[in-house]
Amino acid sequence: MPTKDILLDWRLHGSVLAITVIAELVGVIAVPIGIGSILLLPLLYAFVMGLLINPNVIAGARALIRDREVHAASPLIVIAIMPFIAKFGTIIGPSMDKIIDAGPALILQELGNLGTIVLAFPVAVLVLRMGRESIGACFSVAREPNIAIIADKYGLKSQEGAGVMGVYVIGTLFGTFIFAILASILATTGAFSIEALAMACGIGSGSMMAACSGALVHAVPDMEEQILALAGASNVLTYATGLYLCVFVALPLTEKLYDLLGRKEPSKAGA
Amino acid sequence: MSDIRTDDIDLTEDPRLGLGAHAAALAVVCVIALVGNTVATENTVPQGLAGLIILWVMCMAGMLLTRFAPFKLPSVAWISAVGIVATMPWTPGSAWILDKVSHVNFLTLATPCLAYAGIAIAKRELEIAKASGWKIAVVAVLVMTGTYVGSALVAQAFL
Repeated sequence: MPTKDILLDWRLHGSVLAITVIAELVGVIAVPIGIGSILLLPLLYAFVMGLLINPNVIAGARALIRDREVHAASPLIVIAIMPFIAKFGTIIGPSMDKIIDAGPALILQELGNLGTIVLAFPVAVLVLRMGRESIGACFSVAREPNIAIIADKYGLKSQEGAGVMGVYVIGTLFGTFIFAILASILATTGAFSIEALAMACGIGSGSMMAACSGALVHAVPDMEEQILALAGASNVLTYATGLYLCVFVALPLTEKLYDLLGRKEPSKAGA
Repeated sequence: MSDIRTDDIDLTEDPRLGLGAHAAALAVVCVIALVGNTVATENTVPQGLAGLIILWVMCMAGMLLTRFAPFKLPSVAWISAVGIVATMPWTPGSAWILDKVSHVNFLTLATPCLAYAGIAIAKRELEIAKASGWKIAVVAVLVMTGTYVGSALVAQAFL
C-alpha cells in the first residue's frame, strides 16, 4: 500500500480521533470487588470501540471502515506507541539515582519476571496445546512495553501479537484484582518476607502495583512506608531494566523453548 | 474482498514506512494525542503541544538511532533510552524537558494506539482468539502468578 494512502486515510485517523475523545471523556472507572477492584481504562474502551467499527467484527461497520483502513491501521500501531514509550523514558530518567541506590537485590529481583516462563509457558504449550501465540502470551507479564517489543519484532497481527494482546487485555481487566489476591494470600502464609512481596508488587503496571501494595499494607499496616517505597522502586526498575531483560533474555528463551516443546506448524509446512 | 491467502501476505509484509513517512505519521498520531490530552486533563492546548513536540523529537531521535546505530536494538528500546538520558538529573536542561512533558498524560498516549489496534484486527486473528479465548485467560492468570511468585522468590533470596 502506498505510504501516502496510509497518511491521508481520513476515515481511519478520524475514527481514531473520535474514539480517543469518547474514551477519554468517559475516563477511568474502578469497579470495587472485595479486596481488589477491576480497573476500566480509556485505552481499553478505545480497543473495544476499534473492534466495534472493525468490519471483520461487525459487518455493518464496512460503511465506515473498509479493508484498506484495516490494512492501513496496522503499521500505525507501532508508530502510535512511540510517544508513549518516550514519555515512559522521561518518567524513568529522573529516578535514575534512586535506582542506582536501590541496590542489587532490587535489580536481581527483575530476573523473577522469568517465573512466567517457568509456570505459564509449559501449561500453554503442553497442556493447552497453544501455538506461537504462547510465545507472545508467556514471555512477559504483557504490559505496554512488552506489547511494543512484540509489535516491533513480529507485528501485532501475528500469532505472537494475538498472544500478548490476549494476556494484556485480561491483565488490564483483572490484573489489579489478581495481584491484590496474590499479595494478600502470600502475606498471610508467612512463606515470604513482606519486603520481598513488596518488591514483587512492582512487576506490573502502576495500577497493579497500587492494588498489590495496597493489599500488602492492608495485611501489614505497620510496614506501610517500607512497602510502598520498595514497590515503587521495583516498578520503576521493571520499566527501566525489564524492557532489556525481555528483549535479550526472556523473548529469546521463550522462542528456544517453543522450538523444543511447541507443536510444529503443519499449516505453514503444507502451504 | 480479501480471502485468507492475501491476508497472509499482508501479515508478513506490513507496509514498511520510510523515515519521512514515519515523521508525518508520528505527527498525525501526536495531533490525535493532543486532542485526547486536552479532553482527559486540565492541561491547555499550548502546554500539551509543547510536550508532544518534545516527545515527537525524542521518537525521531530514537528512530534515527535505530536506523544508523552500529548495533541493532528495537526502536522502542532506543526511544525509551533517549527519554531516559534526556531526563536524568545530571543531564543539562533535563528540568526544562521534564516540565514540558509533565503536561502530557501518560496513559492518554496509549489510547490512540489501542484504537488503531482494534481497527487493525483481521479475520485471522479473530479465528485465533475464538480458538484460544478461554485458554488465553487461563494462561494470563498463570503469567501473572508466575511473575509475582518468581520475583518474590528472587527478592527473598537476595534480601
